[in-house]
Amino acid sequence: MTKVRRQPVAISIPDRRDAALTLGPALLVFAFGFLSPLINLAIESLKEFTPGRVGSVENAAATVQNYYELANQAFASVLLTTFWIGGVAAIIGQLVAFPLAYFIVRRISPRMRTLTLGFLITLVLSSVLIKTYAIELTFGSVGIFRPFLLTLGLFPNSREYINIVVIAGLVHSIIPVATLTLIGAMQSIDPRLLDAAQSLGAPGWKAHLSITLPLSFPALVSSTLVSLTFAISAFVIPMVLGRGRVLFMSNVIYTRFSDIANYPSGAAISLVMLAVALAVVAVITFAQARRVSR
Amino acid sequence: MLHDMTRRRFLGSAAAAGIAGTMTGFARSAAAGSGNLTAVEWGGDVVEAMKQIAADQNAATFNWVLHQGGAGAILPKIKAVWPNVDYDYVAGWEGSFNSMVKEDWLETINPADVPNLANIPEKIIIRDGKGNIKAVPRAVGGMYFGARTDTAPIAVKTIDDLLSPDLKGAICWPGPTQSMMLQIVALALHAGGSETNMEPGWKLMTELAKSGNIGRVAVTDIDFTNSLTSGETSVGFFAEPGWAAVAKNFPVTRFTKDSNFKAFLYQSGFGVLKNRPNTKATLDFVNFAISPDMNSLYAKVAGEAPLNSKAVTPDNLKHLSFTSDEFSSFVYVPDYNAVLEQQDAWSKRWEQDIAPLL
Repeated sequence: MTKVRRQPVAISIPDRRDAALTLGPALLVFAFGFLSPLINLAIESLKEFTPGRVGSVENAAATVQNYYELANQAFASVLLTTFWIGGVAAIIGQLVAFPLAYFIVRRISPRMRTLTLGFLITLVLSSVLIKTYAIELTFGSVGIFRPFLLTLGLFPNSREYINIVVIAGLVHSIIPVATLTLIGAMQSIDPRLLDAAQSLGAPGWKAHLSITLPLSFPALVSSTLVSLTFAISAFVIPMVLGRGRVLFMSNVIYTRFSDIANYPSGAAISLVMLAVALAVVAVITFAQARRVSR
Repeated sequence: MLHDMTRRRFLGSAAAAGIAGTMTGFARSAAAGSGNLTAVEWGGDVVEAMKQIAADQNAATFNWVLHQGGAGAILPKIKAVWPNVDYDYVAGWEGSFNSMVKEDWLETINPADVPNLANIPEKIIIRDGKGNIKAVPRAVGGMYFGARTDTAPIAVKTIDDLLSPDLKGAICWPGPTQSMMLQIVALALHAGGSETNMEPGWKLMTELAKSGNIGRVAVTDIDFTNSLTSGETSVGFFAEPGWAAVAKNFPVTRFTKDSNFKAFLYQSGFGVLKNRPNTKATLDFVNFAISPDMNSLYAKVAGEAPLNSKAVTPDNLKHLSFTSDEFSSFVYVPDYNAVLEQQDAWSKRWEQDIAPLL
């Protein structure tokens, strides 16, 4: 099979002007709303903190101590907790959202599809706090399922159980976002391909594995990335459902900035978190791009 | 309509909008200068008490802003906009006031501007290094160990009982940014240390974390109240308003007059911020709020013992009223500056040594 190589396309001056006009507002917002605070954060992270003060003092000495002190097992442990709980939630979210998106696109009437889409959008827009407390009241240590959990041998105060509840909270928020992301991809798959495979004798599961899954794979990767990014940056869900015992990076960053007013340390942690998150996203995106180019 | 818009009309509209905006700004400034105060208060019964006090006077009207999280959480918000701060006064305690004094955010209080300050015990007033008064105390609250008597699996008699296997998951422990970590100072005191010798406290804290007895780490006062009232946990260390909220509906034993525990007293008061146009109106209100009648009202509604010597202490706050002998036996007053300067190190120590064990 011959590879189709993309040829560079010359962009004319009017095209460039159009590009500048269309991208300009977004770039401007990005520069002021994201880049400049990020630069401030980077500068703050290199300042020395005086205990007892609020943030760094004027003319504080430059230091890399705020980064150096992150090189310990406790910080690695918080980072690991954030990524493994967030990763598990993102994967479970896809396992639920993928068949759900297929069902919505292929198995229900247009009227029901509209209603279902409306319901999913409502779930996305509804308050995370309300959803989180709903889970707490249902599965928390005094939730209505407590007797049921005890009969299953699950001690509601155990760390394992708390981890499960945090994952449940994240999955609850991920499913509607992931489903909406995947619905577009499902709609673009020609249903006749599946019909043809099955009419030629392929069992349903095999037809899905060889047609639906590969064709929606790029969307699945995008949905996983969106879900993972949401999960690892979650703040309220681990704070409420984790009962103060599950620490995510966002909780540590909040503590540094808001409660002990150590801005330089909070800034250093924020930047390390950003770098790690970008690295993970880059690796997944790169792997996906390589897979497509093969 | 939009296609009728000419450049001249557009410029005219823009000018009109600009004038209207400026006039609104002037009006707002005028309102700000005429006794419209923005106050940062605690939620629940405390702000309710302050609203009742505000309703008893006509000189000032209020925009109430509530603290979110610990008292220190307001500091970054002020720092972010300083010197253009939006708050006329901030309710706080030693923890947050000492930080504000270091940042030089607080007005110096002239006793002549707040005559009722004469009835407040001199030794509790916060001053800067030059002896200037920097905050006006209004009440005394406590941070102490206690238990919900009807649900506690055992009768807790000493701090060592917190390690009992019978208390599995039954303790609600304040998060590392609550109460300035005086809960660990309490452990240190029990084990022979103090706020300047915390190793015994950290050792005991490690044992407590390993025991599995901490069912919830409360990162807000509501966390604490919810945990105790729902029956999730039964034993804890928290500030007076948290215990008062639980005690409204359930029997609570407070270890404030028990030689096996130490209670920490804190002053709740007003920090008047610099660079505001309403300083006089703010000080007038502060003076009114600590008058005997209003201080009695505050104590009754907010559940903190009044500091004005002429105010009435309600019966339900007797556990916070100490004779001299009781004070020396049961109350510990830490060096708050030493505590403040170690918050950063203690918070990191919590993350490194304690959090992984929970």
